[in-house]
Amino acid sequence: MKEKYANFKAGIHSRLLVALMDGTLKGLKTAVMLLKIMIPVYLIVVLIKYSPVMPWLQDIFSPVMKIFNLPSEAVVAVVSGFFTDEYGVVAALSGFDFTMAEITTVAMINLTMHSIPVESAIARKIGLPAGKFFAFRVCMAVLVGIMIGWMGGVLL
Amino acid sequence: MSESWDVIFREMLDGSISTVLNLLKVMVPLMILTEVLMTYNVVEKLAKKLEGLAGIMGMSRNAIFPLMVGVIMGVSYGAGTIMEINSRNNLSKKDMMLFGVFIFMCHGIIETGMLFGIAGASVIVVTLVRLLLAFVVTVIAARTRWIRNLEKQQQ
Repeated sequence: MKEKYANFKAGIHSRLLVALMDGTLKGLKTAVMLLKIMIPVYLIVVLIKYSPVMPWLQDIFSPVMKIFNLPSEAVVAVVSGFFTDEYGVVAALSGFDFTMAEITTVAMINLTMHSIPVESAIARKIGLPAGKFFAFRVCMAVLVGIMIGWMGGVLL
Repeated sequence: MSESWDVIFREMLDGSISTVLNLLKVMVPLMILTEVLMTYNVVEKLAKKLEGLAGIMGMSRNAIFPLMVGVIMGVSYGAGTIMEINSRNNLSKKDMMLFGVFIFMCHGIIETGMLFGIAGASVIVVTLVRLLLAFVVTVIAARTRWIRNLEKQQQ
């Protein structure tokens, strides 16, 4: 299969066309790979949302989420992002009805700090102190979250 | 459970289908764009134009290309590029730390811009504002004691 595709590609002389074909294939492959994580995250988030755990989570985290001007349910998305990745955040976000400003705040917090296990490994691989960068990202995520949470409305 | 299982399963099914569709809407154009950028060495050309910013960010000009790769295409592409560059000509400790500061605050802007755009976030905030924040933080970091000490150690 792979060989056939390579032969087929060798016959095409347009670099743009090859890029289009490779891109489409890679896009489909990556989508399948990501969905294997996103769908379970989404299903678990919907379960949590309707379970008795949710009111309890909301009680505990509503003061923390208030710092970011977010509703307490947002904690589910924010925490999913630490352990999975941006795609986990999006899957978790889609379990709730958030406004554009709220989604933007969650996005900015999680874009600053996400997939801690994977990205710490990357940091170590290129010789950066993973622990220091972890601390740096936590601080930045909090600062960015507060900033966008309270000023985001101006920017939208 | 605060809803009947009927409602919950219905929501799970609808939500899963829209997750699949939304992801395809992001991944296929994203990968095509990434391939096109690589085919025509767009990032390399862009990095040449932006090398002037290296001074303000306290980096050497060589660090700008891997940084741009990471910021535009994603952290694993950036890490790959920086390893390749280090294998030829080691970047300084200071360059590496500042690269880390920028890249861990902001990477893969095309990918995340599209992903969170479809998820309902403000595309301008998640791309431009994030880029600007990472730039400002890097400029400030370059002037802190910790980063400047790295330079002294090396001399």
